[in-house]
Amino acid sequence: MINETSRMNINEDLLAAILDRLIPAVDDVPSAGKMGITAEIVRLSGQQARFQGIFTKAMQTFESANSEFVLLDVESQDDAIRNFESKEPGLFNSLLTISYIVYYKDTRVHKRIGWSGRTPQPEGNTMEPWDDSILETQRKREPFWRKI
Amino acid sequence: MTTSNEASQQTVDILVIGAGASGGAATAWLAEAGFNVKCLEQGYWQDPAKYASASDDYEFEMLTNWAPDPNVRQRDEDYPVNDSNSPVTPVMFNGVGGSTILWTAHTPRFHPSDFRVKTLDGVADDWPISYEELEEFYDLNDEVMGCSGINGDPANPPRSPRQMPPLPIGKDGKKLISGFEKLGWHWWPSDSYINSQRYGEGRDACNFCGHNHMGCFQRAKSSTDITYWPRALRSGATIETGARVRRITTDNSGRATGADYIDSKGNEKHQSARAVIMAANGIGTPRLLLNSASDSHPAGLSNSTGLVGKNLMFHPFAMISGTFPEKMDTWQGPLGNIGLSQEFYETDKSRGFVRGYTYQFQRSLGPAWIANGGFRDPVPWGEGHHVELEKRLGSVMAMAVIGEDLPEEHNTVDLDPELTDSDGIPAPRLNYTLSKNSRDQLDHAIGNAKKALEAAGAEDIFVDPMMRQSGWHLMGTARMGNDPDKSVVDKWGQSHDVDNLFIVDGSVFVTGAAVNPTPTIQALALRTADYIVEHRQDLKG
Ligand SMILES: Cc1cc2nc3c(=O)[nH]c(=O)nc-3n(C[C@H](O)[C@H](O)[C@H](O)COP(=O)(O)OP(=O)(O)OC[C@H]3O[C@@H](n4cnc5c(N)ncnc54)[C@H](O)[C@@H]3O)c2cc1C
Repeated sequence: MINETSRMNINEDLLAAILDRLIPAVDDVPSAGKMGITAEIVRLSGQQARFQGIFTKAMQTFESANSEFVLLDVESQDDAIRNFESKEPGLFNSLLTISYIVYYKDTRVHKRIGWSGRTPQPEGNTMEPWDDSILETQRKREPFWRKI
Repeated sequence: MTTSNEASQQTVDILVIGAGASGGAATAWLAEAGFNVKCLEQGYWQDPAKYASASDDYEFEMLTNWAPDPNVRQRDEDYPVNDSNSPVTPVMFNGVGGSTILWTAHTPRFHPSDFRVKTLDGVADDWPISYEELEEFYDLNDEVMGCSGINGDPANPPRSPRQMPPLPIGKDGKKLISGFEKLGWHWWPSDSYINSQRYGEGRDACNFCGHNHMGCFQRAKSSTDITYWPRALRSGATIETGARVRRITTDNSGRATGADYIDSKGNEKHQSARAVIMAANGIGTPRLLLNSASDSHPAGLSNSTGLVGKNLMFHPFAMISGTFPEKMDTWQGPLGNIGLSQEFYETDKSRGFVRGYTYQFQRSLGPAWIANGGFRDPVPWGEGHHVELEKRLGSVMAMAVIGEDLPEEHNTVDLDPELTDSDGIPAPRLNYTLSKNSRDQLDHAIGNAKKALEAAGAEDIFVDPMMRQSGWHLMGTARMGNDPDKSVVDKWGQSHDVDNLFIVDGSVFVTGAAVNPTPTIQALALRTADYIVEHRQDLKG
């Protein structure tokens, strides 16, 4: 469920504009701000202590320093983000981390990068069995542990 | 003094504090020998079917609810650790199985030389026991936990047959190993407590999902909740979960009488016992001993030397990663269980430092993990993001350096004057600095890791000279020794000050060696338990 309180505190238009600069369009996948993932970012960031609070703070701090961000040209937007990144690395990092998490669970992105999108379990993967011949060289070596 | 405000429960023979790697082993051994054993564990049982590796949000869960850092995870059963004075963050899990729920299960043994560093290299102290004395307990532990691996490693003494063949190396592992082969350097497939085939009770073979560090859904990775604990419970041991121990209690003569704890409903309780075993790990145990100060033990329990909490060792990790031009599906297979190199393990003074290090080979994971850096820096945002992500995904391999961190008294766990857990119990505080010897080791290892990665064909080599979130090995904070003025417990893990108090976790380590410690922790726990069995007549109520 979307955490309504934190959602109210987040300017999702601003978040979308930041996302457009963080993860630009590629091939047939639009830039992250145009993918409709802002609500999911806000939802997930409200789920656990690591992002709770700090993500909201990141957005609010960014907004108060860059109230006209959405109106800026892209170079100025990049400058504003870089400035925020260097002045508030912890806040920026929380924003970037949760943005990457949500972007990379999107099926459109999976398709483009050739990622199966399966969860690791229950299917797992298949690996070729153990092949002892790989130890041929190492087995020729004399023991070299230090005797005492 | 017992200060419980609730009636004592029935007195047990042995009270074990902590149900992790060491607590599970000791409890099972003692219960099977007929002791009435009870364990108090602040966390809970985990249901493997609910591990987050089957969740759509597994990449989020990995960094939050299943993060190894308790300060990030912040579950009710976690306690905070003030690590602001340490470049290394301690990581652990609190629950039945303890940190083995999240561990990588890479299980090398100490070398014989690790027990004799004073004699051989003039540093720290020798252990009061030898490799040979511990060997039978290593073997017993391998059997219960189940070890995949293969004999014949020239860097180590011969050992008993492993229970299962090694886990496959994978194409990524083969690539990394090719660098070592070209340089003529040692490598060997890892001993791992991960099933390469069915083994143990209801435990499947690994299906190479790559995410057992969030708990193993397949029950292929050994954790004590699915190995030692079923045996312990069958033999009559009991465990109370959600039971957070506040202090060990003592009588007027200074002997341990049990523990005060807060149960899962918030009730203050007391459990009385004829003997107490501490298995709360290298941070939890000194914390509890210091929290157990009383009139008869004013500096904390078993702390007449002032050594409780001192000599904290971690194995600070450097991580050197490389990006290969090939796509190798590096997310397939356990993260850190390909192999190791001990080419530079034993002391060679010409290197400018004593003791040595192990390389542990590492895979890498899925897209969000890669984007957020994984073992290296995050993929840059903006133009160029997509190219870089695609370059790294499925192509990054790394080498973790586990250097031998020697004991130093100024590296400590003590009690934070302000920070407490959710029950108001003072939380631990760390003070840790990396020694010059450890730094020199890591730098040497970084140089050689670059050579190995280059020889294997890696192109973009990245060095993290010391990972912050790498305090997975918690050792040394209640060291063992023959001299009661210089150690907290004797060679059996028995407190010099309190004869019915034993410590079985990594706190007792005299030195840390340059390998992951848990087989050694568990072998020591079994040895202590065996000693208690042999001396059962001494446990007077
Ligand atoms: C992510 C990760 C990866 C790791 N990988 C490896 C590896 O590959 N190889 C290896 O050898 N080691 C590894 N380790 C380390 C390994 O898990 C530990 O060495 C081992 O679990 C320590 O065993 P222990 O019994 O001392 O403590 P733990 O297993 O940590 O158990 C201690 C238990 O005590 C309980 N406890 C603490 N205080 C209290 C209290 N006051 N009241 C009640 N209960 C309490 C805790 O809740 C916990 O369950 C790893 C650890 C982590 C976190």
